[in-house]
Amino acid sequence: MKGKNRVVSIIQTIFLIVLALIVVLPIYIAVSNTFKLSDIILDQPLSLPIPPTIQNIVSVLKSPNTNMIEMYKNSIILMVAGTLLTVVVSSMAAYYLARIKSKLSGFLRIYFLIGIMVPYVIVYLPLCILLRNLSIPFGVPILIFVFVSGNISFATFMYTNYIHSLPIELEEAAEIDGASKFQVFWQILFPLLRPCTTTIAIFVGLGIWNDFQTPLLLGQVKTITVGIYTAVGPYSANWGVVFAYVFFAAMPVIVVYLLAQKNFVNGLTAGALKG
Amino acid sequence: MKKRNMSIGFAVPAFVIYTILLVVPILMAFYFSLNKWNGFNPMQFIGIENYINVFKDARLGNAVVNTTVISVVVVIAVNVLGLFLAMLVNTASAKSNIFRTVFFIPFVLSTVAISFVWKSILSYNGVLNGILISLGQSDLIGNWLGKQGPAIICIILVEIWRTLGYHMMLYLAALQTVPHELYEACTVDGGNRWNKFRNVTLPLIIPGMSVSFLMSIINELRMYDVVKIMTDGGPGYDTETIVYNIVSQGFSNSMVGYSSAISVVLFLAIGAISIFIVTMMNKKEVEM
Repeated sequence: MKGKNRVVSIIQTIFLIVLALIVVLPIYIAVSNTFKLSDIILDQPLSLPIPPTIQNIVSVLKSPNTNMIEMYKNSIILMVAGTLLTVVVSSMAAYYLARIKSKLSGFLRIYFLIGIMVPYVIVYLPLCILLRNLSIPFGVPILIFVFVSGNISFATFMYTNYIHSLPIELEEAAEIDGASKFQVFWQILFPLLRPCTTTIAIFVGLGIWNDFQTPLLLGQVKTITVGIYTAVGPYSANWGVVFAYVFFAAMPVIVVYLLAQKNFVNGLTAGALKG
Repeated sequence: MKKRNMSIGFAVPAFVIYTILLVVPILMAFYFSLNKWNGFNPMQFIGIENYINVFKDARLGNAVVNTTVISVVVVIAVNVLGLFLAMLVNTASAKSNIFRTVFFIPFVLSTVAISFVWKSILSYNGVLNGILISLGQSDLIGNWLGKQGPAIICIILVEIWRTLGYHMMLYLAALQTVPHELYEACTVDGGNRWNKFRNVTLPLIIPGMSVSFLMSIINELRMYDVVKIMTDGGPGYDTETIVYNIVSQGFSNSMVGYSSAISVVLFLAIGAISIFIVTMMNKKEVEM
């Protein structure tokens, strides 16, 4: 019986290793070929880049239709501002939804929840027309608010549940001591929400960083994703350069993921599990 | 009373942003869908004509078939494999940890980046064919993304590759809610591996399973990025998905009314499917 278990366990491990190799192989191909010259990529796609060349990276940085700094800047501004604003407005709304029992707050809870089910594609065209009619220019500023609007449902829902699970006594005590609602929220409650805030920040921040459809369709704002798409074009086959672009888009995420792996997994799965 | 008035202020910023940028556009889409409009000329009210056309549109029909095929295969694959993987790595060893970390990587990367990588592998002048040639198997090379059948299979494989780790994590979280005592009780009663799985694991992970199914279905029904980059809907319209079709009709062909009608139908379909799955799983939970 012991021997049989051992065999099963070895087979399992081999299976997992093979699967892990399949998962890693495309990533290995992308990273190693970033440092190879384009003409040897097709001949030796799996070889190690020895000696490594940075020619692909240089040609991406020098390319006239790519401004890598602008792309990074736009993506970072959108991610940071969008995440912060989502956290602020959603946690405040959730404070009201979780602590006030009234018909209005019950209605608002359902109202905010509807957005979770919406396929976002329904929004793009009307939103373009709305912005045009309001003479709001497409660009990073309005896109920040668009990202916030798309994440409010999820973030408010998470915060509301979380605040429900916290005892109300602390807030009541602070109010008796003369603190205003505003002070109670920011000084007492908000610090307690930190685990929930981490989850939401990762979910929302990564979502914004990786989003392609929204910046593409709302004014072709040059984020990392849209920048790569427009620079490479759908028909290019200069793979070395393509890999270099992918490298720039994916590297920051991989590094941060490996550093804060546990938070990432919680951030990306907890939302689904509570919803 | 004063207290309540002050509190509602907390909900106002979220309410305003959400209403103007999400709810109003959705209502606009419902309204546009009843009109013939290209976005510039005066609107022309045509009632439900767009909706009638939705069900007669052969190009959209193809997109619906593609989306359905992709969704069914991917949903089954990632849920079955995801649960299986989760059971294999549901141990507290360093080895399991490494596997979990690796399997989850594709899900944190942008779909744009990974779609380009897979495109570079699967294109006619790409890495896979390069490997086949260098192995002397040039009669095996194929135009994987250039024909409908193989291209759909490629899209399915990329989607499975991309989301499998995520579903493994969802199942892992569900498995960790199963109390150990129940497995021990099952062993005492003479249960084998299959009994344990069927009578202990499965009933207890039904809630996690319904979440995983729901997420995968919604994900696949919204599929856009991978198709946009790997095949751009082509050749012709052969590999279009529903969302690709909506964007193309709305933005490239300026059929604002018609594309809104398709997106309204998609919205209602996703809503109906979500409610169906949640109620069905709730029932199962009670039965088991």
